[in-house]
Amino acid sequence: MPTQPSDDRIALLQGTLDLLILRTLLFGPCHGQGVARSIQRQSEKVLFVDHGSLYLALQRLDDKKWIRARWGVSENNRRARFYELTAKGRAQLAEKTSEWNRLTEAMARILNAAVPQNEEV
Amino acid sequence: MFRHRRSEDDFAEEIRSHMELEADDLREEGLSPEEARCRARRTFGNVRAAQESFYLRGRWVWFDRLVRDLRFGLRSMRQSPGFTLTAVLTLALGIGANTAVFSVMNAVLLRSLPVVDPQRVVYLNTSATPNGTGTIGDHETFSWAVYNALRRSNGALSDLIAVGALSTDKIGIRIGAIPEQAEADMVSGNFFSGLGVRILHGRGFTPEDEAAGAPVLVLSYDYWTRRFNRDPSVLGTTIVVKGVPFTMAGIAARGFEGVDASRSTDFWIPLQNRAGFNVLGNPPENGKLYQADPTWWCLRLIGRLAPGVTRAQAVARLQPIFQSAARIGLGNPMPGEHPVVLSVEDARSFAGGYDQMYSRPLRMLMTMVGLVLLIALTNLIMLLMARNAARQREFSLRLALGARPAELLRQLMTESFLLVLLGGALAWAFAVLATRVLARWALIESSLAPDRTVLQFTCAVLAFSAIVLGVAPFRTAISGGAELALKTSAATAYTDAGKSRLGKTIVTLQMALCVVLLVGAGLLTRTLYNLRNIPLGMNTTGLIVFGLNPQSVHNQPELVHFYQDLQTRLRVLPGVESTTVSSTRLGSWWSNNSSFTIDGHDARTPDGAIALARMNDIGPGFFHTLEVPILLGREFTDADGASKHYVAVINELMAQRYFPNTSPLGHEVNGATVVGVVANHKYRAMDEAPIPMAWWDYAQGPGEGEMNVEMRVRGADPLAILPSVQKVVAQMDPNAPLIQPTLQRAQFETTISQQLLFARLSEFFGLLAVLLVATGLYGSLAYRVNRRTAEIGVRMAVGARRGQVVWMILRDSFVLTAIGVVLGIPLAMFVSRALGSSLYGVQPLDPLSYLLSVAGVGLVALVAGALPASRAASIDPLSALRTE
Repeated sequence: MPTQPSDDRIALLQGTLDLLILRTLLFGPCHGQGVARSIQRQSEKVLFVDHGSLYLALQRLDDKKWIRARWGVSENNRRARFYELTAKGRAQLAEKTSEWNRLTEAMARILNAAVPQNEEV
Repeated sequence: MFRHRRSEDDFAEEIRSHMELEADDLREEGLSPEEARCRARRTFGNVRAAQESFYLRGRWVWFDRLVRDLRFGLRSMRQSPGFTLTAVLTLALGIGANTAVFSVMNAVLLRSLPVVDPQRVVYLNTSATPNGTGTIGDHETFSWAVYNALRRSNGALSDLIAVGALSTDKIGIRIGAIPEQAEADMVSGNFFSGLGVRILHGRGFTPEDEAAGAPVLVLSYDYWTRRFNRDPSVLGTTIVVKGVPFTMAGIAARGFEGVDASRSTDFWIPLQNRAGFNVLGNPPENGKLYQADPTWWCLRLIGRLAPGVTRAQAVARLQPIFQSAARIGLGNPMPGEHPVVLSVEDARSFAGGYDQMYSRPLRMLMTMVGLVLLIALTNLIMLLMARNAARQREFSLRLALGARPAELLRQLMTESFLLVLLGGALAWAFAVLATRVLARWALIESSLAPDRTVLQFTCAVLAFSAIVLGVAPFRTAISGGAELALKTSAATAYTDAGKSRLGKTIVTLQMALCVVLLVGAGLLTRTLYNLRNIPLGMNTTGLIVFGLNPQSVHNQPELVHFYQDLQTRLRVLPGVESTTVSSTRLGSWWSNNSSFTIDGHDARTPDGAIALARMNDIGPGFFHTLEVPILLGREFTDADGASKHYVAVINELMAQRYFPNTSPLGHEVNGATVVGVVANHKYRAMDEAPIPMAWWDYAQGPGEGEMNVEMRVRGADPLAILPSVQKVVAQMDPNAPLIQPTLQRAQFETTISQQLLFARLSEFFGLLAVLLVATGLYGSLAYRVNRRTAEIGVRMAVGARRGQVVWMILRDSFVLTAIGVVLGIPLAMFVSRALGSSLYGVQPLDPLSYLLSVAGVGLVALVAGALPASRAASIDPLSALRTE
C-alpha cells in the first residue's frame, strides 16, 4: 500500500518540482534519490515529493537539455544515475526563480491585504 | 541532434538504484535492513505507474494503442483461421456484389461523359421528326439544315457539335495490306475543342477540317493501345477508310471512347461530304447526300451551354430557329401536324434508351445485392457473437485485470476493421473482375469498371459494415462482467436467453430473405430458359453470318456478280453445305418496315389505317439455307435475278391476313408476283411476335453494296471456317473485311442479352444468398449445440436416445425455417409482382418456383442442421458431464 502523505505535508504544485530540481542541482551533480531527500530536508519535511513524478520530471528536464545524466557510483558504492545542470538549465533556473518570486510576492500581497470593513455583505 | 532514445530498462534500473540508495539511508537512520527495504519501496509509490508514464512519454499514444490493438487483432485472427476465412469471404462476396452492381449502375445511369464541365453539355432532342422525313432515332437525330441553322445562332450555345454514324455496325478499313473492321464516327470540326476532350498526341479537328472534309483522323486511346500498341510514330501514317486514305493526325486522351458509351469508337473523322461517306453508309437518296438532303434526319447534336445561360433559356432561344429550320425543304405542314419541339437532356454516357432499358433491372439488382449484403452482415454478426461468447472468459479476464469497457470496444472495433479491410480488398478485386464479365455478357463495349464514385460508395459500405460488426458484439463481450473470470464452467458461463432469442430472430429473417431471393431467381431462371428456347422458326445449327461491304462494287450488275461469284467460291470450301445472302441481318434489332400494296391497292389494317410489313432483300436459296419450311410455291432462283419479272415471297401471316381463303400465288405485292409462302419465323429479335413479311430478290431490287452472307457449315466449330472465308473474300476485294462474323444463334441472342444478363445475375445472387444463409444457419446451430453440450450429456445420461437428440437439434432448425418461409412467401409474392415486366412465359405466382424455393430453403436447413445434430448425438454423456 502506498503511503499517504501526512497532513502537514504539502503536495507540490504543478511545475514547481522542475524548479526545485534545478535549484537542488545548482550545488553539484546528484542522483534522483539524493534530489528527493535534499528537497524534503531543505523544506523541513513540509514538501512531499512523489518519487515516480520526480524521475519523470528528471527525464523531462533531460529531454529539454536543461540537465544531463550519466551513470556513476555513489559515495556508498552504489551504481546511480547522476544529473547535473547544463548552461541552458542554469539560465532557466535564474529565469524561473525570478518568475516564482514575482508570483509569490503578488500572491502574498493579495492574500495579506487588509480586508475592508465596510464592504461586508 | 539525434540522441539515442533512453530505454525502459535503463529507467527501471534507475528506480532499482533509487530503492537501494533509499534503503541505505534508512538503515543509517536506524531501521533494520528488511524494514528499510520495505519502507523504500512503500515511499516510492506505484513503480509500474511511473514506468508506464515513462513509456508513454512523448509517444503518439493513440498510434501506439492502435498498433497494439492491430497486433492483438491479427493474432486472434490467426488463432481462428476458419472464422477469419469465413468472415472475410462473406464480406468479400457481400460487398463485392454490391460494388459490382453499383459500378454498372454508376456507369449506365449516373456517370457523365468524360469531358470538361459535363454539367454544361447537353444532348439535343426533338419531340418528333416532321412528316416526310427519314430518321435514325425518332427523337435524337436532326437534319444537316437544322444543324446549320442552330449553330449559326450564337448566344445560347457556345458550341454545337454534330455526330454522324458511318454505319450501323463496324466499317471496313485497311491498315497495310489486310482489311479489317473498326467503329468510326464522322464529327464536326469543333468536336474535341467543344467537348473539351484533351488530345494526347498530335492534333484534334478544326472547323477548316470540317469545311474541307479533310482526310484526317483521330484515334481513341483504347484503339491506339489495342491496335498500335501505343506507338506514337503511327501519327502521319495512313488508314484506308472505305477505300479512301486518311492520315492519322492525333490521339484522344485516355478514357474518352465517344459520345455513346454502349459502343466504343475506334476513331473519328471530320464530317465528309463525298460519295460512300453518307451517314450510316446509306446510298444517296435521289442523288443527295445527307448535307444536301433536308429530309434525312441523321445527325446527333450535342451542345455546350454558353456561360451564364441556363438550359431553359437556351431551349427558349433556340426553339423558334429550330422550328423554322425543321420545315426547310418540306413545304407546308400537313393539316393537323404538330410543330416539332426541341428539348435538351443530360449528356450522360449512356443515352438513347440504354438508361430506360437498364434502369429497372439495375434497380432490382441493386435491391437484390442489398439483401445479400444484409444477409452477409447478419451472418457475420451472429458469427462474431458466437465467437465472442466463446471468448467471454478472455474479455472477463481483461476486465478483471483493469481494462475499461471502452478499451474492449476499441479492440472489437479494431478486429472488425481488420476483417472489413481484408474483405473490402477482396471485394474490390471481385468487383473489377465481375464488371468485366458483366460488360461481356451485356454486350456493352465501354468500361463498366469501378471508378472514384464507386470507390466512395464502397468505402461508405465498408465503414458501415465495420461499425456494425464492431458495435454489435460489444454487449455480449462486456455482459459477463469481471466476475465471470472466476467461474470455471463454460456451460454456466453463458446463460443469457435474450441473446439466443436474437440469434433465432436473425436466422428466421435470413430464411425469409432467402425465400424471396430464391423465388426471384427461380422466376428469372425459368424466364431465361423460356427465352433461350423460343422457337426461331429456322435451324441455327452450324449457321454463321457475316457482313460484307465490297468497295469494288459500283452498280447493280457488279453487285449481283460479286455475290454470285463469292458464293460459288464459298460453296466449294470443305464443310460448307449451303450459302445465301440477305440485306438486313437477322436478329440484329434492325428491320426494314414499310407500307405496301396488294394487287395495286394500299394494304390496310382492319380499322382502315395504312398497314406496315417487314421486308428484306434476299438471295436464292435463302429459306433452304435457313431451313425455313416453304408452305406453298417456291423460293427465288438465279433465274429470277436475270429476269425482269419481279417476284416476291411472303410469310404465312401475310397470306392469312391479306389472302384469306385463297392462294396468294400469282397475286401481286408491291407490284411483284408472289411465288411462294413460307412459315413464320423470327426476323428482328427473339421475343418478337410474328408480323406480316415480304421478301424481294436482291438481284432484282436497287441493291446496296453491304450484304450479309449466311452459311451453313458442318462440324463442331462452324466459326473455324472464317479464316478460309477471309482468304476467299480477300482474293475478290482486298478492302473488304468480314464485318461482325458470328453464329446466327449468337446474333439472335444479342436481342435478349439484357434479359439473359439479368436472369444470370439473379441466379448467381440467389445462390449466393442460399450459400450465406446455409453457412449462417450452420454456424449458429453448431454454436448452440456446443453451448448445450452439458445439457445433451444430462439428457443422454438419463436415457435419451441418439435419435431423440438428433431430432431435438433438427427440430430447432425446422421451426426457424417454417417461420421464415411463412414470413418470406408474402414478401416474395410482392417482389415477383414487381418483377412482372422482366418475366417471359412464366407467371409471377408460378407455383413451381415457389415450391422449389421452399424446398431449397428446407434443404439448407436440413444440411445445416444435420452436422451439428450428428455431432450432438455422438456426445459421450460421461465426458459431457465431466466438463461441468
